[in-house]
Amino acid sequence: MPSAAILEVRRLTKRFGGLTAVSSLDFEVREGEILGMIGPNGAGKSTTFNLIAGTYGATEGEVRFAGEPILGLPPHRIAARGVLRTFQHNRPFGGMPVIDNVLVGAHTRFASSLWAVVGGKALREETERRKRAEELIEFVGLGELPHADVSTLSFGQGRLLEIARALAGEPRLLLFDEPAAGLTLAECERLAGIIRGIAARGIAVLLIEHDMHFLLPLAHRIAVLNFGVKIADGLPEQIRNHPAVLEAYLGSHAAT
Amino acid sequence: MQDFLELAVSAAASGCIYGLIALAYLLMIRPTGIINFAVGEWAMVGAFGGYLLLSKFEWPYPLGMAAVLVFMLGVGWLTERIAVRPLVERGAPLLAPILALLGMLVVFREAISVSFPPDPHPVPYALGIQHQSFFIIAVTSVVFIGVWLFFERSVAGKSFEAVAIHRRAAALMGINLSRVTALSFAGGAGAAGLAGLLVSPNVSAHYLMGVPLAIQGFTALVIGGVGRVEGALLGGLLLAFAEQLTVRYAPIPAGYAQGVPLLLLMMFLLVRPTGLLRAK
Amino acid sequence: MTSLLRWLGAALLLAGAAFLLSDYHNDVYRKLLLWVTLALSYNFLFGICGQIAFSHFAFYGIGAYSVVIFLFQFHLPFPLAILLGIALCILFALAVAIPSTRLEGFYLALATLALAQLFIVVLNEGGAVTGGPGGLANYKLPEILGTRIRGPWYTAVIVLLLLGTLAVLWRLDCSWFGRACRAVRDNPEAAAAMGVDVARTKVIAFTLTSALAGIAGMVYAFVDNTVNPPIFGLDNAFLLLFMVIVGGAGRHAGAILGAALLFLLPFVLSPLIGHHHVLVFGGLVVVAILLQPRGLVGLYDAIRRHP
Repeated sequence: MPSAAILEVRRLTKRFGGLTAVSSLDFEVREGEILGMIGPNGAGKSTTFNLIAGTYGATEGEVRFAGEPILGLPPHRIAARGVLRTFQHNRPFGGMPVIDNVLVGAHTRFASSLWAVVGGKALREETERRKRAEELIEFVGLGELPHADVSTLSFGQGRLLEIARALAGEPRLLLFDEPAAGLTLAECERLAGIIRGIAARGIAVLLIEHDMHFLLPLAHRIAVLNFGVKIADGLPEQIRNHPAVLEAYLGSHAAT
Repeated sequence: MQDFLELAVSAAASGCIYGLIALAYLLMIRPTGIINFAVGEWAMVGAFGGYLLLSKFEWPYPLGMAAVLVFMLGVGWLTERIAVRPLVERGAPLLAPILALLGMLVVFREAISVSFPPDPHPVPYALGIQHQSFFIIAVTSVVFIGVWLFFERSVAGKSFEAVAIHRRAAALMGINLSRVTALSFAGGAGAAGLAGLLVSPNVSAHYLMGVPLAIQGFTALVIGGVGRVEGALLGGLLLAFAEQLTVRYAPIPAGYAQGVPLLLLMMFLLVRPTGLLRAK
Repeated sequence: MTSLLRWLGAALLLAGAAFLLSDYHNDVYRKLLLWVTLALSYNFLFGICGQIAFSHFAFYGIGAYSVVIFLFQFHLPFPLAILLGIALCILFALAVAIPSTRLEGFYLALATLALAQLFIVVLNEGGAVTGGPGGLANYKLPEILGTRIRGPWYTAVIVLLLLGTLAVLWRLDCSWFGRACRAVRDNPEAAAAMGVDVARTKVIAFTLTSALAGIAGMVYAFVDNTVNPPIFGLDNAFLLLFMVIVGGAGRHAGAILGAALLFLLPFVLSPLIGHHHVLVFGGLVVVAILLQPRGLVGLYDAIRRHP
C-alpha cells in the first residue's frame, strides 16, 4: 500500500578527515513502513543513523522529514519534530523510576510553560501524560514495573524501556539502533511484535540491525550498505538472494 | 631595568610554584579524569612538613626536603587508596571521587589546623633568602625535565599516556590501572608538597594557604592546557607574569591583584578551555 | 485544598515556634531556617540538575549587599531595591551560565569557584560602597506600611521565604522541567535525543536557583543588620555542598535534613572539638560518598526496605 514518504535521504555523504564513512546515500522511509538497514561492520549504518538523529552534521546531501530539512539540526530539535530514537547500549536515566523515564520521552509534548508549572496550573496535563505513560509501559510489556528502580531492570527490560520512552514522544519516525543486540530469542520475538505494532499505528520505523534472522521476517523493505555505499534496496526475499549482498555480507549464511 | 629583572626573577619563581601545582593536577587528571582540588592542601601539608623537620627539628635541608617528599608520596598514595580506589572499583560516576576529595581537602586542612597553633609557621630558606628564587627555578626545572623524560622516554611513562588516551583499551593491554592511578596520585602529592615547601619560606606555613594555591594552580593548568606537561609550566609562568605586571604597573589597588588569576581563569574557560598548548 | 491546609499548618507551626523561643534561640532558629532555604535551592541545582557550582553563597551575598547598597547608599524605595537586587542576580547568573554550557560539566564548577572568589575580592576592595573588609552595618529594615517588622515577626518572614522556596522548587521538581533537569543530570545525550534542550535547561536551573539564593540573601541582610565578606566566602559554599551530600542529594528532605544536621552539630560538638567541626563534616562527606551516596535519606529508605 503506497503511502507518503516521511523520511527522504538524498546524496547523504559523510567524510571524517580522509575517511569516507557514507557516500551519496539515497533512500526513503514511508509512513507505517519498517525499513531495515543492514550491512557488515563499518558499512556506515551507525554513521547514517547518527546523521539522521542529529549527533553530527553531514559533509553533503540532504535529509527531509515530513518535507522539512533536518540535516544539521541539534538532536533535541529533531526530536521535537517527531523523530525519536533508541540507543544500542541502553541509556536509561538512572536516577528516576521507570515511569519518569518514559515521561522524559514525552518532553516535547508538554505544553505548560514554566510559569504555569510554578503557578500550579500544570497538574492536569501532568496527570494525563502520566496515564498515557502507564499505557505505553503496558504496551511494551513492563506493566508491573512502573515505579521500579531502573537499575533493577534486566537488559531486555531496559531495552523495552528505551522503546516506551521513545514512543512517549509521539514520534512519526522511530529510529532503532540494533534493538535485537543482546536479547534472547524469546525477547527478540516479543520485540518484533512490538515493532510491528508500532508500524501498524502508522509510525515509520528505520531499523539498523546486524541480525539477518531478526530482520528478514520483520522488515517491509531492506537497504544494504557496504563501505558506505548502498548496494541493494528491496523486499526481504529479493535481498536474501541478491548476489552482491550475499557476496558482501551473508557469506556462509547464504544457506539460510 | 634592574627593577624589571628583579620582577622577572620573582615572577619566574612564582610561575614555577604555580607550574608545580598545575603539574600535580595534570598527573592525576590525565590517567583518571579526576580533578583533585586537595592539591592546595597537599602543598600546605608539604609546607608544614618543612616547618616541622627543618625549623623545629632543625634537620639539614637536603635530608628534610627528601623526607617531606617521601612523606608526600605516601600521603598521595593513601588518599587514592581511601577516597578514590573504592569508588572507581565500584564503577561510581566520576563526580563521586571528586566530591570525596573535596571532603578530604577539608579533612587535611582541619587536621593541620588542629595539630598546630593558628599563627604562620616559619620555614627556613634552602640557600638563603636572596637565592630562594633561583633555587625554586632550579628545582622546578629538574622536576619538569624529569617528568617530561618519564613520559616521553620510559615504558612506564608510555603506559600513563595509554591510560590517559583510553582507559579500557589500556586495561585490555594489560596495564595495571590501579597501579597507574596510585602512582599518579603519589606523584601529584609529591609535586604539590614540593611546591608548598618551596614557597613557604617566603609566605610561612599557614593552614589557609591551600585554597588560593589550588585556584592559581588550576588557572595555570587551564592556561597551559591539560594535554602536555610543558603546558603546566608555561601556564604557571604566564599567570605569574600577568599577576606581577598588573600589580606593578597597573593603576589599580593592590588588593585587586588577587582578582587576576580569577579573571584569567574565567576568560580562558570561556574562550579557550583547552589551553594554549595542544595535546599531541 | 488539603495541600493548602498542610502548607498553612506548616507555616503556623514554624512561625509560631519563633514566638516561644528566647532571643538567643530565635537568632539560631533564623539562621537555621536560612541555611535550610539555601540548601533547598542548592539541592535543586546540584542534586536534581547535577550541576556542581560554588557560587550559591556569592549570589546570597549579591542579594544581601545589593539590597543594602540600593536602600542606604542610593536611597531607592524598598520595592525597587528588591527588584534591582533580583535583576542583578539574574544578570550575573546568566553571564556565568550561558557561556558555561558550552563546556564540559566540571568547568561550570571552576567558573563559579572563580566567581565566588572574585566576589569576595570585589567586596574587600569596594571601599565605601561595599564597606571593605568590615562590611556594612548599622542599618535597619525600612518600615513597611508604617510598621517595622522585627523579632519573631521577622522570623515569620523567614518561614514564609523557606516555604515559598520549597513550594516553587517542589512544583518545578514534579513537572516536566524537574524531569528534564534529572535527565540532564543522568544522561545528557539521551536527554537531548528525547527533545530536552540541555543547555537551556542548565541555564534556567542555574539562574533560577541563584535568584532564589539572592532573594534569601535579601532577607538575610536584615537578620543581623550587618553584611561582611567572610559570611559569603568559599568555606560556606563548601559547607552547603557537604550539607546536601550528607543529607541526600536530589531529595528536598535530604537538603532539609543535611542542613539541619550540619548546622546544629557544631553546637553539640563544640565542647568536644572546639571550632574544628569542619573536620567532622569533611569526614562525614567522605564516609557518605563511600558508604551511602544517597545520604541520610537514602540510609532511611534502605532501613525501611530491609528492617
